[in-house]
Amino acid sequence: MAGRSYRVAADIGGTFTDLVFQEAATGHCDAYKVLSTPENPALAVIEGMNRYLPADATADFFVHGTTVGLNAVLTRRGARVALLTTENYRDIYTIQGNDRGEIFSIHWRKPRPLTEIPDTFTVRERINAKGEIETPIDVRELDALVAAVGERGYEAIAVCLLFAFKNPAHELAVEAYLKERLPDISITLSHRVSPEWREFARTSTTVMDAYVAPVVRRYLDTLVSNMAATLPEDNQLHIMKSNGGAMTAGAATENPLQTLLSGPVGGTIGGRALAETIGRPNLICVDMGGTSFDASLIVDGEPSSSNEAELEGLPVQMSVVDIHVIGAGGGSIAWQEAGAVRVGPQSAGSVPGPACYGRGGTEPTVSDANLVLGRLDSSNFAGGSLSLDRDKAKEAVAKLGSSFGMNAEQMAQGILDIINAKMADAIRTITIRRGIDPRDFALVAYGGAGPAQAAALAAQLDIAEVIIPVMPGAFSAWGMLQTDVRHDFKMTYYGFWHQIDAQDLAAKLGGLEDEGRDYLRKEGFDDADMSFERAADFRYHGQEYVLTIPIPPGPVDMQAVRSAFDAAYDRQYGHSSPDASVEVANLRVAALGHLKRPGVPDPMVGESGSTRSRKVYFAGTEHDTAIVQRSGLAVGSRVNGPAIVEEATATTLVPPGWRAEVLKGGHMLVARQQEGTA
Amino acid sequence: MTKPTADPITTEVVRNFVISCAQDMNAALWRSAFSAIIYEGRDSAVALMDEHGNMLGQSTGVPLFVGAIDACVKLVLERYGDDIHPGDIFILNDSYLQGTHLHDVTAVGPLFYEGEIVGFGAARAHWQDIGAIDPGSTMGSTSIFHEGLRLGPTRIVSKSKPIREWYDLLTRNTRLKDMTIGDLNAQITAIRTGERRLGQILSRIGSDVYRSACANIFEQARQLDVEAIRALKDGTYYREGYLDDDGVGDEPVKVALSLTIEGERMIIDLEGSSDPVEGAINCGAVQTASLLRLAYKTMINPDRAITGGSFSTMEVRIPDKCMFNAREPAACEWYFTGLGLLADLMISCLGEAMPERATAAHYGDSMVAAFFSMDEERGQWISVEPTAGGWGGRVGSDGESALINLVNGGFRNLPAEVYETKFPVRVEEFSLRCDSGGAGRWRGGCGVVRSYRLLEDAFAALWFERSKTTAWGLKGGENGQGPDNDVVYPDGTVEKQLKMRARHFPKGTLFVTRTGGGGGYGNPRARPADEVLEDVRFGTVSRDQAMARYGVAITDDLSIDTEKTLPREAEIATA
Repeated sequence: MAGRSYRVAADIGGTFTDLVFQEAATGHCDAYKVLSTPENPALAVIEGMNRYLPADATADFFVHGTTVGLNAVLTRRGARVALLTTENYRDIYTIQGNDRGEIFSIHWRKPRPLTEIPDTFTVRERINAKGEIETPIDVRELDALVAAVGERGYEAIAVCLLFAFKNPAHELAVEAYLKERLPDISITLSHRVSPEWREFARTSTTVMDAYVAPVVRRYLDTLVSNMAATLPEDNQLHIMKSNGGAMTAGAATENPLQTLLSGPVGGTIGGRALAETIGRPNLICVDMGGTSFDASLIVDGEPSSSNEAELEGLPVQMSVVDIHVIGAGGGSIAWQEAGAVRVGPQSAGSVPGPACYGRGGTEPTVSDANLVLGRLDSSNFAGGSLSLDRDKAKEAVAKLGSSFGMNAEQMAQGILDIINAKMADAIRTITIRRGIDPRDFALVAYGGAGPAQAAALAAQLDIAEVIIPVMPGAFSAWGMLQTDVRHDFKMTYYGFWHQIDAQDLAAKLGGLEDEGRDYLRKEGFDDADMSFERAADFRYHGQEYVLTIPIPPGPVDMQAVRSAFDAAYDRQYGHSSPDASVEVANLRVAALGHLKRPGVPDPMVGESGSTRSRKVYFAGTEHDTAIVQRSGLAVGSRVNGPAIVEEATATTLVPPGWRAEVLKGGHMLVARQQEGTA
Repeated sequence: MTKPTADPITTEVVRNFVISCAQDMNAALWRSAFSAIIYEGRDSAVALMDEHGNMLGQSTGVPLFVGAIDACVKLVLERYGDDIHPGDIFILNDSYLQGTHLHDVTAVGPLFYEGEIVGFGAARAHWQDIGAIDPGSTMGSTSIFHEGLRLGPTRIVSKSKPIREWYDLLTRNTRLKDMTIGDLNAQITAIRTGERRLGQILSRIGSDVYRSACANIFEQARQLDVEAIRALKDGTYYREGYLDDDGVGDEPVKVALSLTIEGERMIIDLEGSSDPVEGAINCGAVQTASLLRLAYKTMINPDRAITGGSFSTMEVRIPDKCMFNAREPAACEWYFTGLGLLADLMISCLGEAMPERATAAHYGDSMVAAFFSMDEERGQWISVEPTAGGWGGRVGSDGESALINLVNGGFRNLPAEVYETKFPVRVEEFSLRCDSGGAGRWRGGCGVVRSYRLLEDAFAALWFERSKTTAWGLKGGENGQGPDNDVVYPDGTVEKQLKMRARHFPKGTLFVTRTGGGGGYGNPRARPADEVLEDVRFGTVSRDQAMARYGVAITDDLSIDTEKTLPREAEIATA
């Protein structure tokens, strides 16, 4: 028997790879950063494991988020894909939705598709809306495509035929014919990757899968073989999915598309675990870095998710945790026009970066404003890897301020007020679209810049509580350790709810569950460790957008589900029509394989360090502000504002009138002080 | 005591708020609307106004509605003045007041904060059926009285309580009762969303600071416009074109526009445009002005949000007796037909004042194909959809293919799989229309071919325009092709139809619709041969036309025949 065993998570970012090691016996976590190795991301992971995993320890669970598939799309370095469509629909992927992305622009161009018309082939065949074959397929017509693969070097074929989600016979016939002749080519069938209607969105989904499949598979093969020595033989590598669950490397090979938005979901899943630990089921999670600001929601203990995403303007039909990317961050530039002051959306990025980076940037940014107000430590930024030039920041901010009769500190406060209001507007937009009042939520802030801005943002939204979780700088990796394996299954099932036969419905849902059970068994789960969540997409007759409503286990209570839809509709839109007919559009089953994981213990308390303080501006006034080390705070400790709580990767600001308190598990609550308790 | 005012910081916070508030209102409308034309087609617009009806922020799915909603609020204020209470909702659709067709119903509601009126919210949406002579849209109306129920500013919700008599009147005047009330509720939801969001910001800054910020926003927007117009070349620019007909007659209809830039003023005059016509292509003055704002916006700061005070330097002159200044009883159902052409004319004029942005014309109109059945036994259904087409080229870029027309914007095509599941119609083809884009150094975009086969007996109606003044080219670029439709009867007989009033057709009839392409920019003979080869490989230009228009010979195995290919010429023909 080897020594201690660890669970390991890796969040592979563009610059840094965050690693979190959790001791299986105690649940204790440690976080480390290593430089990423973009040409082969596994190298950074292995280096980190070799360097930081104790010599007598084993890693017996490994999960990571990968951006390999995403990068292939963003940099257009995916596979060369041939697309096969129904005759007369060759141009479907080029025509797209034919709406104009910018409605006031006469120069707008559509998103560039991942494969183009000269690489599109057609076949005479037709299935109708009922799933009946109108025109049988003659697979010999595919010989032109077979020949082209040899001549033009396609690595993957995407097949999307009309109504294949109703009747897959023709797609299956295509697959059989091509497999026999092209055994080494990756083939994606639309009804498998997305058995849902809407031919353009399904084509786009199918092509995207085909496009990333060879790249993701190559990456996984490399990773598995490189890590063979690091992981015990019987243990599989896990990869985060866009839906917030995890899957094994084997499953990822079959569903490469599911890895597409694997990177940022860790934070949201961490939020879900947090919701349970600290007993707050409704959370707004914000991840603020240098250039962008990601927001997601935990509602009633579960991450808010969607059934369709968009990448580079192209639709993808798959379950995803809703993550809203907002163009506001430390690098957002403040500027003026027509007597007005604006902040963003332009960002200074990392080159030249904010004025305070001293890399030639002269325009004032949000980071510069924070520095002018004393809220960032100029010598201890990004773990000490970069020292900031406060004079340059002040010069840039003061110059803008002079146009408005403001000094540097006033202007700096103004820049933060504007960016906070913009972020608050964005959060309101997200919540209002879901019929949610943000005041009922706590704000969870992480990422390098989140904890410094969180209290001000909460104040804008009338949110009473801010949570700074443990390891805010590596929270996405921490969150990955809190996940279960999850696979989503769906089918288009269209009809009036009141005409649906409950037994047929139960049989269809049962079929999806069986698919899920088989899949989880293949991944090594016992039936006892599985659970299934059923749901269906509903709308009032005549509508198009759907709401996904859970269907509780057991026999389906048709009336109860119907009422649940009316209630959910009313919550989201403020009115409902209990007398109108309701249509069901899709059935969905999430198959969950529960992973064993230890609880999160309270933090071990280290040295509190020397007592320091510095001058910090709050609401226009300079305050003597205590600097406190987070590692010195035990559960139950309180810190009254104004204070700055420091740790290796983040700085938490506790404004005057606010107080920080360490909760169970080491998470920190920042809230307004009650009258008389200060 | 002086009232508190807004500093530049608060002003900017409020400016961001009015934009995001309008977007949230529109999102609420889209997500809860009952008609596909609203939630898919985005045929809607919302706006947030100050208490005098001045536009502060707006969000629109249909760009055409930019700046026409505030007029509705002013009408409500004129009619009801002090008699406006919390929770009230007013609607109106009068074509001569709000400018568009009767389908566009604008709901207006006051926004109260602490008992005081602080603004208005408005939501306009296209109602599918407003009780006209034909279900859905009329094709051959010659009077507003053929076109359905017409409402001036009408209170339908009083202090949050729906007025039953008005709801009763509405449902008795539409063939689609549930849908109509559902859409109305969605519009009310949008206004309530605006009131809630406005209340949140007012509780933070108070109504005095808010008003002061609004005044600053108006001034900033005005200043931006002034700067933009000062940068244009002074002068008077003129363009004219012809619509195919007015929908009932055969005569072309003249549209003329002159644009004068004088320092910081822009004057647009429609003198020379046709008198009111018998057919349904007349348009109210409010909507005409709105269209001109849209055309302006496409050329000047198109990426900036529109806030209060925008367009204040623009002056619009429309003759009293003009198709663009409709008066009772002029028919207005297809009011936007002339507007597509008007926009292209104005964009061409502006292109002369700012040559770096000059762009050839686009395919021009909504190109509507409608199918429906009122059969009691098989069920009633209506499908109305506009069709995409080609856009104009400009320096540095070909025109885009298969994109919805200017005045529509957010309109998305209905997927064939959704269409065929809902309606007894098969969409047999949806593809790019080869050779439809005007040839040029920068080629015009292609129109589309979209074919529908009836699987049951049904009615069909068509409205396709711009076959006479097709999308014109610029600087030596050629014009795009115009629309061209075939109605193929089950016995094989073919009939050409562009504008066709609702008629009954037997099962099996095939409608092949083809939309026009965009105009080209610059000399086609200057287009590099390898780009023409790409066009052929993409199916946007045929081999025949590659030779005929561009002088590029393409071989059977799709390569350039350098021997037969004519020499390349200068980009802009010097004639």
